[in-house]
Amino acid sequence: MTQVMKGIRVLEVAQFTFVPAAGAILADWGADVIKIEHPERGDTQRGFINLGAVKLDKDRNALMEHPNRGKRSVGLDITNPEGMALLYEIAKTADVFLTNYRPSQRQKYGFDIEHIRAVNPNIIYARGSAYGDKGPERDVGGFDGTAFWSRGGIGHAMTPPELDGPLSQGIPAFGDSIGGMNLAGGISAALLHRERTGEAIELDVSLMSTAWWAAGTSIDLGLEQGEIPRNRMPTSGGNPGNPFTGNYWTSDGGTINLCTLTPGMHIRNIFEHLGIPEAADDPRFSDAKALMENWEQAGELIAEAIGKQPFEYWRQHLKTMSGQWAPCQSLVDIASDEQALANDMIFEVESADGGAPMKLVRGPVQFNHQPTVTTRAPQSSEHTEMFLMEIGVEWDQIEALKAAKAIA
Amino acid sequence: MKPGTKLKSATCDTEVMVIKAPADAEIACGGTLMTAEASANSQTIDPAFADGTLMGKRYVDEAGTVELLCVKAGAGSLSMNNTKLGIKDAKPLPSSD
Repeated sequence: MTQVMKGIRVLEVAQFTFVPAAGAILADWGADVIKIEHPERGDTQRGFINLGAVKLDKDRNALMEHPNRGKRSVGLDITNPEGMALLYEIAKTADVFLTNYRPSQRQKYGFDIEHIRAVNPNIIYARGSAYGDKGPERDVGGFDGTAFWSRGGIGHAMTPPELDGPLSQGIPAFGDSIGGMNLAGGISAALLHRERTGEAIELDVSLMSTAWWAAGTSIDLGLEQGEIPRNRMPTSGGNPGNPFTGNYWTSDGGTINLCTLTPGMHIRNIFEHLGIPEAADDPRFSDAKALMENWEQAGELIAEAIGKQPFEYWRQHLKTMSGQWAPCQSLVDIASDEQALANDMIFEVESADGGAPMKLVRGPVQFNHQPTVTTRAPQSSEHTEMFLMEIGVEWDQIEALKAAKAIA
Repeated sequence: MKPGTKLKSATCDTEVMVIKAPADAEIACGGTLMTAEASANSQTIDPAFADGTLMGKRYVDEAGTVELLCVKAGAGSLSMNNTKLGIKDAKPLPSSD
């Protein structure tokens, strides 16, 4: 596979999903990502017992694989002075320093930008944070449930006003995974800039900025007009103003989403596919203007039509329909979606328990139509000795560092 | 035993790299001594040593005299001088999302 980041070393001092996910994307793209973990505790995310109501298998841990595949783990205690001296040695060999530790911690332990730049002036310094590296709350920590979903306004906009309170995020690390990709994109641009100008720069992505960007159309609208669209209560019918958009319920409780934003050219084709061809000749629905004016009545007709057949019928039957639509699938259903599989959305890594390979979702970018080829996430501290020997640390020194509890 | 030495199990697929071990240590997997040239699954596994190994994990004794890094998982248990080795486990902080 085309390894666009081959030869780039990323030194990652980060935990959880958001910032490690940036490292995982860069590792997918061929970078040598060295993940620093506490010698005893490892990444705090290794201690997760549950994900929502689902209990995690600690020997086949999907939560660790997603943001850490393709990396090597070095157990190094950043609170130990000898450990920090070793971190500087590693930083000298790296192109990118990637961290989500808070400013006060970076200062306290000595791995803020000035400390890392003192040993490697050409390193790109990339920070992920909850709320950004400027302003009064730069030192406040957070997760995507707080910074992205709650404070970021996503939860509010996702929730129909009729409900008593905002919906919760629902998908673990939802904001983290989006934010990690944002960070990987920023790092890639910084590497390009360094390549062209010789200048190493610093960059920031926060979970808040991730929410703001993801919700940018609504936020810009709110800034301009003072109001935003919010989610509506689930119903089988058209969205206000366009009956070819909206969720429609099938006879067996499934849902077909219509999303034909420009309905005019599709009127006959869609009504024919829905088994109500006569509607295309009804003056209330026969051209775009009339259809959009009479959206509610058209929506009722369509709801009745779709409600007559089961989900699987529509899923097959609508394949030749000209307008945009989709079957509503669960995150379990999509694993067998043939189109997703045709685009290599799933790749496999060996499992640490020697059992069946683990299936993982690839990053959103594909180069040269090639599937992702990488290795499983490391165990905590798995590569400590091998990596240190690779950068020239002698075995005697490795033993001395171990005795000093600076490394695993 | 020299650090970096690779040992293979004769009773399963397990392979380890020696991080440290006493010179006279008898390191076994599945109840049979491990060697550099052992042929995987050529011997019967001792049911008393059949808990399995996990790739990337480190295996140690209680006194900390031995440390083996598992580089290939298998069905046997690692032991030194007939005593089973345990996983040098990270001590994760209990968390939930």
